[in-house]
This record gives sequence, structure tokens and C-alpha cells, in this order.
Amino acid sequence: MSEKIQGNIAIPGIAVGKIMKVGQSLDGYMAAYTPGSAEEELSKLEEAIDTISAAIDESVEAMREAGQDEQAEIMEAHSFLLMDPMLTDGMNDKTREMAHAPKGVLEAAQECAEMLAGMDDEYMRERSADVKDIGRRIARYLLGVKEPEIGEEPVVLCGFEVEPSAIANIPDDKIAGVIMGQGSTTCHAVIIAKSRAITTVVGLENRVEDIPEGAKVLLDGNEGIVLVNPSEEELASYDKKIKAQQEEQKRLEALRDLPAETTDGVRVQLAANIGLPEDAEAAAKYGNKGVGLFRSEFLFMGRENIPDEDLQFEAYKRAIVACHGETCVIRTMDIGGDKPLAYLEIPHEDNPFLGYRAIRISLERPDLFMPQLKGILRAGVYGKAAIMAPMVISVDEVKGIRAAMEKAMAELEAEGKEFSRDVELGIMVETPAAAVMTPVLAKYVDFFSIGTNDLVQYTLAVDRVNPQISKLYDHFNPAVLQLIYRTIKSGVENGKWVGMCGEMASDPYAAVILMAMGITELSMSAPSIPRVKEKIRSISMDEAKAHLEKVMAMETGAEIREYLHSKI
Amino acid sequence: MQELNLKVLNKPGLHARPAKELVKFNKGIESDVVIKFNGKSANIKSMMAVMGLGAKQDAEVTVTIEGPDEADVAKAVTEMFANGFGFPDEL
Repeated sequence: MSEKIQGNIAIPGIAVGKIMKVGQSLDGYMAAYTPGSAEEELSKLEEAIDTISAAIDESVEAMREAGQDEQAEIMEAHSFLLMDPMLTDGMNDKTREMAHAPKGVLEAAQECAEMLAGMDDEYMRERSADVKDIGRRIARYLLGVKEPEIGEEPVVLCGFEVEPSAIANIPDDKIAGVIMGQGSTTCHAVIIAKSRAITTVVGLENRVEDIPEGAKVLLDGNEGIVLVNPSEEELASYDKKIKAQQEEQKRLEALRDLPAETTDGVRVQLAANIGLPEDAEAAAKYGNKGVGLFRSEFLFMGRENIPDEDLQFEAYKRAIVACHGETCVIRTMDIGGDKPLAYLEIPHEDNPFLGYRAIRISLERPDLFMPQLKGILRAGVYGKAAIMAPMVISVDEVKGIRAAMEKAMAELEAEGKEFSRDVELGIMVETPAAAVMTPVLAKYVDFFSIGTNDLVQYTLAVDRVNPQISKLYDHFNPAVLQLIYRTIKSGVENGKWVGMCGEMASDPYAAVILMAMGITELSMSAPSIPRVKEKIRSISMDEAKAHLEKVMAMETGAEIREYLHSKI
Repeated sequence: MQELNLKVLNKPGLHARPAKELVKFNKGIESDVVIKFNGKSANIKSMMAVMGLGAKQDAEVTVTIEGPDEADVAKAVTEMFANGFGFPDEL
């Protein structure tokens, strides 16, 4: 009997392999370890450091040769840290003091990691996890923990946390997937896995302990499911899925370098939604043209203080450079009481989605807003940047944002820093108020981007995460379509471009209708781009316009959906 | 012993990239080079210690150099601080 465990999607794909547990507790080995004299422990330590150091250098070289630069860079930092006297002296001192090499190593690594975690430098804070990883690796060597052997069958690494080095050390043809108990999709392990497109499911919490070493698992990264000991039938059914997936992938890959245009040559820009700057680089393999939504709040989360201007500048610059001259739309911080951050000091709210959030906070908090605006304006020098404000409901807010931009430019000028004056300012149209007011708002902005996730929720008064009413949530609801059409027309009439960055943009059927309305940019998660492109390339603008006319005369969302799915 | 008073010109301060350059530089010299700032001191052979100083742009640091090649090293270190440790985009 197979056992099904539900986790969260981190990196999609389907994979089958044998479980290899990593990051397990060393307590048992510690208890069994008999330390020698302080001198003996010190010489064991020296030998361990030399061995591990050589192993790291060797793997860095192999990764460089294989063109895995991102991975090589992370492991190179390990090599650098391992040569750092601050860490090695600490390990030596502790080992001498405790006359116990593995304990000394772990304690020194822990101290070093804590010091790094407290540093006022993003790079060093990230190294904190690396130092712990190194410490555990040396301790495992000293304790004689066998490094798991990799046989013929590809493995699925499994642990509450999987150390980046564990993934980095297994060649592509021997690693099928990664399963993690912890839920972060932005940790180093996931970044490494993503750069190698290794199917990954996270957020299994303590259930990772129930998965036995050596068990066969089927990993459905598209659904975030782990099947332990899958049956023959399950394997066969997934086998079909894998084959279909591969075939579809091939078909869609062939579309990558073709333009997103109708059969009569009308083009639309298909851009990517991203959360981290490196996502912009990864999007290229799906043929994106720029970024239509950079969710900058990821830079604000998981920290204790406001990210400073330089840190933000570097992140925006990286994303902008990866857009290769196409527009990179950066949304200003979109956080509220639902994701409280200590430094935002938002008191408890009963209704955070209608509360103190996003631009409402930014406009009142120059200490938050100025570093963000200045970071974007400076990064604008490296390509084509655009600023997009979330949750706007009025012209006053847009005027406030313009004034803040002017102030940011004046400050940058006074500080003698290089910045761009050509950064566009747009708003996310995601409140009914903004959509209704677009004929007026259009005079004050450079573009609109329709955020359908919230526009649908606010227009229909349907909480999108409440499963009991989820069938009421529909982007084809005529009320929603009316607001979208109005927004696009307002933009077109005022010579401003209009895009969309909500889930609706990734619906190929919706894309056709939106193009007929006059939208010029659709932004979505990068893997959705090929499917939307395929649909657009199959239809002419005349046909699309005829469909639009019919659809706008219909009375319900269900009718519209059924029509589109049967006619297009 | 040589003692220099130098200013950090790099915009992000003495962060990872300059600290790495100092570690590399240290491998080719015989002198001991110690940077002092704000009551803390760091031998340049340790990247973590150098970064732990927390020296930002415009910080004025004291560098002591002791060893047989100290005159040459002093010149080279002065040069490194002045040219942003080889990262002109950070000046």
C-alpha cells in the first residue's frame, strides 16, 4: 500500500527514486564516539579539515566544468569559509578545550554562524547556514558517519532541512528529487535544486521522519505530493503523465523563440511574474519578454529590519539586467496585517485585506518607501525599469507617489548617485474603485497593470482562500470583465499601455479575449508562457474580436467559459 | 611596523568582495596586516573578521603592517583602499 503525504510545491516536475535521508541527528554517533587526548583530537581535526577541504575544491572544479556556475559559487563560498582562520581557529580552540573534536567543531561552527547571522550584511547572513553545513560535514567525517552511497538508482534526498552541499554533491543523473520538512522555497537548497530543475516538495514538517530510508517514492512536484512505496498501477499512471509531460514540453519548447502573435500578426508581450531577482534569469528558458510583476515584498520578508537602499538596488539591478532591455515592472511593497513584519508595527486587524497595507503604508512611512524608490531609480540605469503601486483607490494616492518619486530623485541628485529619470510609474488596477476611475487615473500614470487576483476578490466580495465559496470566484464573471474592459479602454484612449499580472493572464482562453480588448502585455509565472503563446498563435485578431463581442453580451461566467472552451 | 590611516571608499563598505580581495592579497605577502576600526581589530587573513568590523563607506580605519616586506605591503594596501579594491563600480 502506498502512503500519500501532502506537502507544498517548490519545484514542479514528476520524479521517481529511492529515499536517501540527510541532515539526520548526530546524537547517536556522538554517544558512541570515544575521544582521545586533546592532542589526538587536534590531529584528527586537522586531517578532517584537509580532507573535506580537498573534496570541496574537487567538486567546485567539476561543477565549473559542467557549467553549473550558480552551484559552484555556493560551494566556493564553503571552501573560502573553511580556509578562514576565524572558523578554523575556533574549531581548534574548542577541540583543545573540550578534548572532543566533533563537539568542538559543531560548537565553533554554531558560534560562528550566530555571529554571521547578526551581521549587518546580507551576504554574510546568508553564509550563516553555510557555516553550519560545513561544521556538520566535518563532524560527520570525524564521527565516521558514512556519506550515503549512491548506487545505480537515482535518489530522492529527504530531511527536515537538506543541506545545500548534499544536493550539490550528487550528479544530475543520480538525483531525482528533494523532499524537505521545512517550508521555505527561498533557502539555498531550493535555489540550488531550482538551478538544476530538480523536482522538489517542501513543507512536510515532521512527516519527513515517517519516510523510511531506502523506500521507493514517487514525487509529484506539480501537486506537492509524495507517494511512499507507490503501487505498480500508480507508477504506470504517472509513467503516462511523465511521457505526456515530456511530449508537451518538447512541443512548447519549440515555441520559445517564436513571437507571441496572432495569425494576422498582432503581437502581445508575454512577461514573467517573479519573486526574487534570480527568477528573472530562470524565466528565460520559457521565452519571457521582460518582467511584468516583481513582487518586491520578498525582499522585506524574513528579516528583522527594513532592507536598505543598497540591498534593494542590487536586487532590482539583477532583475533588470536579466530583462535584457525589456521592461522590468517592480511592484512596491505589498504587505499588510496578514503577513505581519515586526518592523512594520501593524497592530492586529480583523480584516487585513481591507486594512493598513501596501501603498497605504508606503505613503505614510518614508523610512520604508524612500529606500525602495531610490533603489529602483538607481537600478533603472541598467535597463528599463517601471514602478507599480499596489492597492491604489484614488488620484490622491498617485499624486502622493509622484511627489515621493520627485523627492527620491532630488535626494539622489544631492547625494551624487547615478539614477534614471525615465522610470515609468503605473498602478496595479486591483480595486473596483481604481477600475472605475481609470479614465481619470490614466492622466496621472504611464501604465495600468490589472491585478485580477484581488480585482476578482474585491469586485465579487469573495474571499479567494475560502473553499466554501471558491466556485463564486471567477475571472470570467461579467462584472469583472466589464471592469477589465473599461480599464483597457481608458488606457488605450489616453495613450497609456495596459497589462495584466494576475492569474487570469495565464489562462490561454482569457488571453485571446484580453488581446481583443486591446491589452498589450500579459505577465504570468514563467512556465505558463508557452501555453498562452500557443493559443495566441492559433487565432486571428478578427476571430478574437468576434469572440469578444459575443462574450460581452453573455450574462454569466459559466456561459462565457463554456463558450470559449468550445469555440477557441 | 607601519601604521596607516585609510578611508573606506567602497559604497557598500568593507563587505564580502573587498574582504575576499584582502584574503587573496594576504597569501602573497609575509607581513601581518591588521585593520582596526571602532575598537575592533581584524587580521586580513580572515574574511569573516574583516567583515565583522562593520566598516561602512567613509569609515576611517587604522591599518598596522609588520614584517620584512612591510614597506611594499603598505604601498599596496594604500593602493587597494584607493581604487576600491579593484571594484570601480563601487566607488
